[in-house]
Amino acid sequence: MESTKVLDAKGLACPMPIVKTKKSIQDLNSGEVLEVHATDKGAKSDIAAWVKSGGHELLQDTEEDGVLKFWIKKA
Amino acid sequence: MADTKVAIIAANGSLFDAYKVLNVATAAAASDAEVGIFFTFEGLNLIHKEGHKNLPIPEGKEHFQEGFEKTNVPSVEELIEVAQDLGIKLIACQMTMDVMNLEKEDFVDGIEVGGAATYIDYAKDANITLSF
Repeated sequence: MESTKVLDAKGLACPMPIVKTKKSIQDLNSGEVLEVHATDKGAKSDIAAWVKSGGHELLQDTEEDGVLKFWIKKA
Repeated sequence: MADTKVAIIAANGSLFDAYKVLNVATAAAASDAEVGIFFTFEGLNLIHKEGHKNLPIPEGKEHFQEGFEKTNVPSVEELIEVAQDLGIKLIACQMTMDVMNLEKEDFVDGIEVGGAATYIDYAKDANITLSF
């Protein structure tokens, strides 16, 4: 899936994936897509919750070889 | 979460307490909530200029040290920086500071000092209140 920007948050523990995601999405315009890579298992539910609380949209999420990937469309 | 306000009391000072307080606080602030933490009694350790860099692991739980390193958990120093960067209000309890003979300069930069009424005033319209 196409993305405007990729954030590598692999190896980071809670709450840093969320903190970094917030920082990264600030540079995007509404409608652009941020791709986040994380290895923190908690990120699966945390990113989804964060997306919901911010009114953004989680377009897709995948899990492969322990790496969680998320595509977030900025509100 | 932009219209959500979170008021937290941090009353304990071990390494575990620091993570309980700071993880919830920074996650809330990263979700655009307005967050304030009132540090009282041992909780003051979490923002003490030197103390917060070397918080004790509770007695008998020293074996968790390895887990902290292995999971790459951010340091308390780093979390305090993140908290301030996200605009979290850090309030040190004046009364405890007096009892412990501490001055504002003994704490990390950027904190506020206030009493119980300051916290109550901050928390009165909070959506979420937590005590650790």
